[in-house]
Amino acid sequence: MAVFYLIFQRLGQAALVAFVLATLSFVFIQILPGDIALRITVARVGIDQASALEVERIREQASLSRPMLLQYADWMRSVATGNLGRSFVSDRPVSEELVTAAGYTFRLAIIAWVLSYLIALPIGIYAGLRPNGFLDRMTAVLGATLASLPSFLVGIGLISVFVLMLRWFPPAGYRTSAHLVLPAVTLALSLLPASVRIIRNAVSEVRASFYMTFARFKGLTRFRAFRDHGVRNAAIPVVTFAALQLAFLMDGFVVVETLFNYPGLGEALVKALLARDIPVIMGCSLVIGTLYAIVNLAADLVVVKLDPRRMESAVL
Amino acid sequence: MRQRTVRAWIGTSCFLGAVIIGLPFWLPLDATSQNLQFSLQGPSWSNPLGTDHLGRDVLSRLLQGGPRSLGIALIAVGTATIFGTTIGLLAAYAGRWADALLMRLTDLMLAFPGILLVLLLAGLLGGGPLPLIIGIAFSHWPQFARLSRNIAIGIIQEPQVEASQIAGLSPLLILSRQVLPLVLQQCVVIAALGIGSAIMTISALGFLGLGMQPPTPEWGAMITELLPYLDVAPIQVAAPCFAVFLTVLWFTLMSQALADQAANRVPT
Repeated sequence: MAVFYLIFQRLGQAALVAFVLATLSFVFIQILPGDIALRITVARVGIDQASALEVERIREQASLSRPMLLQYADWMRSVATGNLGRSFVSDRPVSEELVTAAGYTFRLAIIAWVLSYLIALPIGIYAGLRPNGFLDRMTAVLGATLASLPSFLVGIGLISVFVLMLRWFPPAGYRTSAHLVLPAVTLALSLLPASVRIIRNAVSEVRASFYMTFARFKGLTRFRAFRDHGVRNAAIPVVTFAALQLAFLMDGFVVVETLFNYPGLGEALVKALLARDIPVIMGCSLVIGTLYAIVNLAADLVVVKLDPRRMESAVL
Repeated sequence: MRQRTVRAWIGTSCFLGAVIIGLPFWLPLDATSQNLQFSLQGPSWSNPLGTDHLGRDVLSRLLQGGPRSLGIALIAVGTATIFGTTIGLLAAYAGRWADALLMRLTDLMLAFPGILLVLLLAGLLGGGPLPLIIGIAFSHWPQFARLSRNIAIGIIQEPQVEASQIAGLSPLLILSRQVLPLVLQQCVVIAALGIGSAIMTISALGFLGLGMQPPTPEWGAMITELLPYLDVAPIQVAAPCFAVFLTVLWFTLMSQALADQAANRVPT
């Protein structure tokens, strides 16, 4: 029963986040300096073609001359019915553009996430089994280094080595799967330091526990003791954190997609912000905000499933 | 020993900070004047890190961009710490519905993807320092509220707080004398990390073209501007990259030293 309460509560939170985001972006746009209609015209037809007549035509078309409250009501009504308007720049429906972009982002995020755990699991387990060993100290140093590198620097580093020097991968774009490799690796590396640390701590804690000592006394080999008694206990914090990291990825993909010119949600948002394409800005922030809330909900559900004792703190 | 490590960290940080802020007054730095004849020159005596595509001195731009980003990060995270800790202490001390209300608010803020808020603020309001400060402070305070509330609740249940309450000390005095010091000791750990991540955010926004606007020197924006010339001017691109990296690394390591100290000190 409590699970339904949790789902209900988190969905409510997601809806509230979406509402606040929609309102906030509307407010920001109203207090923007400068004429929005002019910016849109320039973005659509180029700076040379932007005549006063054209600006007025676009002002009418985008109904920017109407009272603020009416515009707000219109916006909220259309959001509620799933109609996000048309992009000022490309004139395509925003929802159509966002669905395409979300698909690209989703693919990139999942690949990066899986990749980071493929690397983190062996390293973290090995470091946790030999705390303060050579590899453990090495990963601590490398982790602090990697955690101090913003993802765009990692991306630039990868581009200069693998694209410019070795010419192994195409520089930017999305057409082939080779285009996915570098952005995915960049994102995966940004997740790596934290996940290695979590796995290492979970494993070393389990290793030092009484039930593991008992399992060894019982006569199990080191491997069997770890497989039968260790893995499940160590998995709780790791899986919890892994689910949360899917949400942290959202911080990274805005920058990484823009760097690699990958047509996902983050790139769409940055482009729209630079061009002041209001419907797309609002649509993007709505979609990213709600996705973030949904991923968080999924993380909570996983936690409760793995460790029912957490129910109380999750519902609180 | 631990105590001394932390003092050394803070002392060195203050010294370096003073030097970095003082340098622009002392050195003949010129971050904005262009000289297209000398664009993309390699390192020389007059331009130790070379010049950029507009012939501006990279070292000057680097040194003038640093204090600005650092200042924004310090103010933003400082604001977040003060605001978050206040909310956390209030929630812990008042308890009941005030606690529930304030923590719901914190949860709601935590449900916001932080980068989105900063992007929207900086992207829509133009890239001055103020939108960056507001955006970063807004996305950082919930952490401090959550942490300080959880620590404070533990301390408030201890006997010496009850004794002070019976002795008739005011809540303000109890909170500031008995609760706050221990709370702050944990908060500085995430504050140091937060400053590092704020510097990453500022440079990332500059990199995206949404942060500080040109010709203001900013590390992230410098990287974007010079990236097309990577093959002819590697040093000029590497310089701001290293500046960002070393600054963030500094704060990451400082936070680890602070965490060690906090973990080693016996509570109360």
